[in-house]
Amino acid sequence: MTERENKTTDMKEERINALLDGELDNEQAERLKRDATSDQDLARSIIEAYQLQRAMEGIRVERAPASLRRKLRRIPRQQRPAWLQPAWVTAYAVVPLLVIAVALMQPREMRPRQPTAAEVAQARQDLAVAFAYIDQVSTRASGEIQSELAGEITDAVAGSVFRTVQDQKIL
Amino acid sequence: MSREYRQWVEEYQDQAWTLARYLLKDASEAEDATQEAFVKLWHHRDNIEPGSIRPWLMRVTRNHCLDRLRRRRPEQEFTGYEVVEERDPMHGAEQSELGSWLRRAIAGLREPYRTLIVLRDIQQHSYEEVAGVTELSLSQVKVYLHRARKQLREQLAEVKP
Repeated sequence: MTERENKTTDMKEERINALLDGELDNEQAERLKRDATSDQDLARSIIEAYQLQRAMEGIRVERAPASLRRKLRRIPRQQRPAWLQPAWVTAYAVVPLLVIAVALMQPREMRPRQPTAAEVAQARQDLAVAFAYIDQVSTRASGEIQSELAGEITDAVAGSVFRTVQDQKIL
Repeated sequence: MSREYRQWVEEYQDQAWTLARYLLKDASEAEDATQEAFVKLWHHRDNIEPGSIRPWLMRVTRNHCLDRLRRRRPEQEFTGYEVVEERDPMHGAEQSELGSWLRRAIAGLREPYRTLIVLRDIQQHSYEEVAGVTELSLSQVKVYLHRARKQLREQLAEVKP
């Protein structure tokens, strides 16, 4: 097809598509109808365009498979920073407790008989920091758990309602 | 933010999946490409205008699909379009012979015609949105769309009595 023929075809197609999209005003639509009565090709193209449009209306957006839906919902959990992954959160919480436990399990003779006032103050401070950290981590973890659980519960409820509706052939 | 993300997943997963299916013609690859796009969405969620989520996601999905198509060896080219069976009463009506034929015909179009038909005629995006997704001008979108529809029309005329 030459460049000129291409341009003519594109112009004709543009008018047909504008008609289908409802973009032609009354005068333009009338002119197209008049042209179609004297141009068999144009008339046939308009009919075929309507047929295609009708056929297209039967094509719907496909429902994503359940496996993909599950994977997409898991993305926030899988993509959060490594230090917030459940294994690490547990490790962070366990380490200070482990240190304290080991210190308490030391044989009596190995323990300092009388800690100095400065050591006691330092130990108290360390303990406060450790507990504050544990507190922070557990608040964050519980927020994540709550948010994840809410999503899972919503999905489970929606899924069961959908199955019930399907089983009872309501739709 | 996690709640917003879940809302985006609910709203756009089917559209992204449908586009990937038509472009890649392979369910497992389409699943991977859609997942990659949503991972990207999760990482860039703070930098995307809330009103542009859908075109952004569709553009990224398309680009992932095109990358995969470029990496494919010629013998890997999938010619068919297999229909994924899902128990969904809303989709029962379209399992007609004409529907299956039309889906295969769309999947057989060249790029960017295929994307344009999927976005505009199946997913009903506006012309402006389609232009944004495909990174084409508005007039290019219209001309290519006319040509794509013309090809489908001619094929349809051949199969219809």
